[in-house]
Amino acid sequence: MAVSPVPDRPPRNWWLIGGVAAFLLAMTGWSAEGIGFSLIELMCNIGGGGRLLAESWPPDFAFLPRLAEPFMETLNIAIVGTVIGGILSLPVAVLAARNLTLGRIVWFADRNFMNVLRTLPDLFWAMLFATAVGFGPVAGALALSVFTIAVISKLWSESLESIDMGLPEAVRAAGGTWLEMLKFGAVPQAMQHYVSYALYAFELNVRASMVLGLVGAGGIGMILETQRANFEYERVAMIILVVLVAVLIIEEISEAIRRRLT
Amino acid sequence: MSTLQPGLQRRIGGATWATFIIAALFVWSMWAIGFSPERLGKLPAQMAEVLGFFWPVNMAYGWDRVLPAIIESIQIAWIGTIIAAVLSLPLALFGARTLFPKLARGVKLISATARAFPEILLAIYFVPIVGLGAFAGALAIGISSIGMLTKLGAEVVDSIDYGPVEAVEAAGGSRVLALRYAVLPQVLPEIIAHWLFRFELNIRASAVLGVVGAGGVGGVLLNTLRYRHFDKAAAVLVLTILIVLVIDLVSGEIRRRIIRG
Repeated sequence: MAVSPVPDRPPRNWWLIGGVAAFLLAMTGWSAEGIGFSLIELMCNIGGGGRLLAESWPPDFAFLPRLAEPFMETLNIAIVGTVIGGILSLPVAVLAARNLTLGRIVWFADRNFMNVLRTLPDLFWAMLFATAVGFGPVAGALALSVFTIAVISKLWSESLESIDMGLPEAVRAAGGTWLEMLKFGAVPQAMQHYVSYALYAFELNVRASMVLGLVGAGGIGMILETQRANFEYERVAMIILVVLVAVLIIEEISEAIRRRLT
Repeated sequence: MSTLQPGLQRRIGGATWATFIIAALFVWSMWAIGFSPERLGKLPAQMAEVLGFFWPVNMAYGWDRVLPAIIESIQIAWIGTIIAAVLSLPLALFGARTLFPKLARGVKLISATARAFPEILLAIYFVPIVGLGAFAGALAIGISSIGMLTKLGAEVVDSIDYGPVEAVEAAGGSRVLALRYAVLPQVLPEIIAHWLFRFELNIRASAVLGVVGAGGVGGVLLNTLRYRHFDKAAAVLVLTILIVLVIDLVSGEIRRRIIRG
């Protein structure tokens, strides 16, 4: 009996592979067609891009002092949004965790509420709140609060679902109420995750708050919008540089804190 | 008991300090942006009033104008994700510390910078270059997704079982063969799951790009709100929520299946 030197390959499901490949190709072709994707156009216009970049260089450093105030406003928006959203996300996350929630109906309703919040991007919330409470940083802070609830509660409810249920059950068995069970049994186990996700949400919020101004919701984005409309690309470049440096610094700090936590 | 006490006290102290600092920053920020308690009190009434305007939803406008815009957003997200997937795969391999120790640091720097850009800022640059429209949006989404996909991909590659790589090289295979037969089969399922996840994120990102004229549904929402056509804005919201929910559901299910294998 001849022993084959190589083990047989597992059989492949060519129908599935072919179907997936066909779907991917069709989707890509249809999308490229739909958005007018063309490499030729890109090549022809790349010169224009070079001109634009040349216009943006060097960034207008004289503009820097005028950015200080809107920049602080941006950070303020991010802080308010993270704190309000962080507090409100606590009950949303707890009720969306299957092992801690108050019955199936509450769980189902809260879970869907959370998913709906997650569907809308941050700037949509900003547009809605700007319409509701007027243009300005308050609208931005409210938008980021909603966005933060969506981010933290989704992630944290998953952490809560994976805790050790022995402790919460012990609290219940000793006659503790539902709130006491949460306070002494469940939440302390997932507290580190909560802090880590809150920091992550803060990073996202800083990044988001930089562009909220594009729809009139306060912060450095408002200045960006006016300079862009006036084609002052040296100033646009300066603003983008500030945003970039700020985001990178805050990410570094937040990552350092998160590393120390875990 | 007394041996436990100092450490315990220090930890509680740290948390209290952190809470105190955060509370102080919060109060200062509330004051700085003019978010007074008075304003907070008026909020529910304001929200209720505006929400009232949103009813009834103008679904005729939704099917006519909003649906094509949402489809365009999906197409932008798809092309952006494809661009990012194709470009980030080699970068992810080169960004793996275990495989290419010297290259990895440079790749990490590039991906960190790319991640720091909100895609809408990139779109501000692409719109003048390739003109108003969806193509600019797709390029912006593509470039800005590269950062995250490279980072996540490199982490996946870093965490592989190194045995097969050594086996290929011990049998005389080159680096390229090792990548093809030892690395890729291990990392592809997770990397594809990341691509799908990024596609979900990109749908939201592309929905927003219309604000700066880069195509998609964001411009429609901005205009309907600007002209106070709340019934039409409601159609944008309803359709966006429904379609994104469905895509999330499908994509999430596929991701779970790919990861399970």
